[in-house]
Amino acid sequence: MINAQDEHRRTKEIILTGFGGQGIILAGRILGEAAALGDHRESTFIQSYGPESRGGACSAQVIVSDDIIHYPYVKHPDILICMSQVGYEKFIGTMKPNGILLIDQDLVHPRSKKQDFFSIPATRMAEELGHKMMANIIMLGFLTAVTKVVSLSAAQKAVSKSVPEGTKEINIHAFNRGCDYGQAKLKGRAKKAIGQTGAIL
Amino acid sequence: MNNFNIILFACNWGPHTAFQTLQDNGAEIPPEVKMVRIPCTGRISKALLFKAFEMGADGVVLAGCRPGACRYGSGTDIAEKNTEDTREILELLDLKKERLRFATFFPDDSDALLKFLNDFCNEIRLLGPSPVVATRKSDLKNSNKKQGLNKKEVAEVISIHDIYACQDCGKCTSACPLALMGKPFSPRMIASSIIAGDIDSPSVKENIWACLTCGLCYDRCPSAVNFPEFIRDIRRLLRKSHLEGHETHGGFFQSLMRTLTSPKLKTKHWEWLPADIRWDPQSKVLFFGGCAPYFDIFFRNHLGVQTSNALSDSLRLLNFFDIKPAILQDERCCGHDLLWSGDQENFLKLAKLNVSAIHRRGIEEVITTCPECYRTLKHDYARYGVEINFKVTHIYELLEREIDKGAVGFKKIDKKLTFQDSCRLSRLEQQADWPRNLISRLKPDQFREMQDSGSAAICCGNCAWTGCDSFSKALQVKRLRQAHDTESDILVTSCPKCQIHLRCAMEDPFLGEELNITMMDLTSIIAKTICWE
Repeated sequence: MINAQDEHRRTKEIILTGFGGQGIILAGRILGEAAALGDHRESTFIQSYGPESRGGACSAQVIVSDDIIHYPYVKHPDILICMSQVGYEKFIGTMKPNGILLIDQDLVHPRSKKQDFFSIPATRMAEELGHKMMANIIMLGFLTAVTKVVSLSAAQKAVSKSVPEGTKEINIHAFNRGCDYGQAKLKGRAKKAIGQTGAIL
Repeated sequence: MNNFNIILFACNWGPHTAFQTLQDNGAEIPPEVKMVRIPCTGRISKALLFKAFEMGADGVVLAGCRPGACRYGSGTDIAEKNTEDTREILELLDLKKERLRFATFFPDDSDALLKFLNDFCNEIRLLGPSPVVATRKSDLKNSNKKQGLNKKEVAEVISIHDIYACQDCGKCTSACPLALMGKPFSPRMIASSIIAGDIDSPSVKENIWACLTCGLCYDRCPSAVNFPEFIRDIRRLLRKSHLEGHETHGGFFQSLMRTLTSPKLKTKHWEWLPADIRWDPQSKVLFFGGCAPYFDIFFRNHLGVQTSNALSDSLRLLNFFDIKPAILQDERCCGHDLLWSGDQENFLKLAKLNVSAIHRRGIEEVITTCPECYRTLKHDYARYGVEINFKVTHIYELLEREIDKGAVGFKKIDKKLTFQDSCRLSRLEQQADWPRNLISRLKPDQFREMQDSGSAAICCGNCAWTGCDSFSKALQVKRLRQAHDTESDILVTSCPKCQIHLRCAMEDPFLGEELNITMMDLTSIIAKTICWE
């Protein structure tokens, strides 16, 4: 018999949220695909359609698990990715107490000082790459590096399969940028934790 | 009789008198001692002391007058400092400082002198023969022949660099920093004189050694005549016919580099490294430091530069990004200065020794911070037939790559900065953007370029320890005035030599105060301010 805690560990419930048009839904789909097709695990994907997709808050719900998923809706996410302030306001209350919050640091300003979060200037980085719409792929790379909810190779494969023909290379580059940023962030945290913030010790 | 070579430099006034007494009395002076009478120990420079070792001495004694008894006042003091500096350099080379001693004697101290010489010779016998291969011996033998310049070889150099393409337009001379300082020096004149077969004329011979090889003329030349490389090869030919170059500092650094070509010499290049720096002998990434540790010892009493900081701070930055590189404990000079001062033979020896040491360790990537090492390892080794199978990366490239990944920030610097380009990186390698991209990430009060910057920047006044003169000094003064015109507090540098040469101008007794400005290597500024966000 599997106890509830094991179950909990192996299943990750994820909500991605942002404005309509940011590619939130696509990011959710890639994430689910990476888990199912790349990592050979179970995954579900729910997209919220409606007036949101015309510029309001929009969200995608993804569950990744080793076991069969009986119910695809996410009420309390383990991982919450916010690319808009409205999305943040709407979902932050539902996050599990030990949930991981990932935000675009230029678009979301967390209210609570106590809440730990990982931030990345995804939209700014996408603009620097010349394509603002790749912010979602950068965020996906960041998510992969920070949470390891899917494997790196599976996520890369899913990205190159899902993006339009001819943009594969630049999207993989964007994904890697996000991933590098996430790894640098984790390294920085680890260093800070042992008191090494600078180069001169 | 044994095979040891011990040189006794004996001051004419005290020790030489004592030595003569020993000879008069038929005392048994150890046979390996060769005495050289000198006017005063204060005139025996570090270069002369070291040259004895380069030429195969196993031990050297500098014998002077007792403190206060120096006929010229300051000789003993100076000799003591010179000996101490040279001893430390011997120690860094693992030649052992015990091989060089300074001792003082009164004229009637003959017994003390004999005892000293016997003790010293015993000590040297215990240390064993010097591992240095006397590189100059063969040179000295050949020099008797005094062969002239081989005309065919000169023609070859002219054709390799296509000097005939020179249109005699004069752009080079109008850009040349030496010519702009008023020196009667003209690249195009040198080129046309050599083409005309006038290589032996005194003005050409002198000017060949004055060229800074800074590359500004090549940058401006409409026919792309690579004048610096042409000069380099002509220097090689002149050197072959044994015409001495105009080496600065008495040729100390060339001596040092030639000494480093001895395969048996195992240096202690990194012994000074601070304890906080982590390195890993198994790593496939190697950090190649360069000669800064020698410079710092050589110049400590005069300029007080600390160019090794660039090395330790580069290593700290690698550590910051969790890179623990390998280091060559017995690292040798890359050979840049020998190559550019015409000694290709010994340059090749160094290149082969370095490359085989790096290959032996299975190194895949070499990281350098010195622009000269970078240029030499990356391009000149292969060009002169020493193939390398590793990648050469400048620390700026690596830092840019790592910092660009993100999550790294910089603390504010409440200072104003300006930047001195290195000729090797900014012009010969055309990478003036590398340091600038990094500087643009820093948070200083202000960053302002000097009037001449990037690929048009003015040289620090000297290259390859060759041909320094009053025009070099004037050039440095001009450069430092440009730095002051930016109203900056710190002159950021990227080459240890820029620091040494510009510091030299600041030592000027009349202008020093006016020219003084803090200098700091870019890697040190980054290391001081970088932090995880």
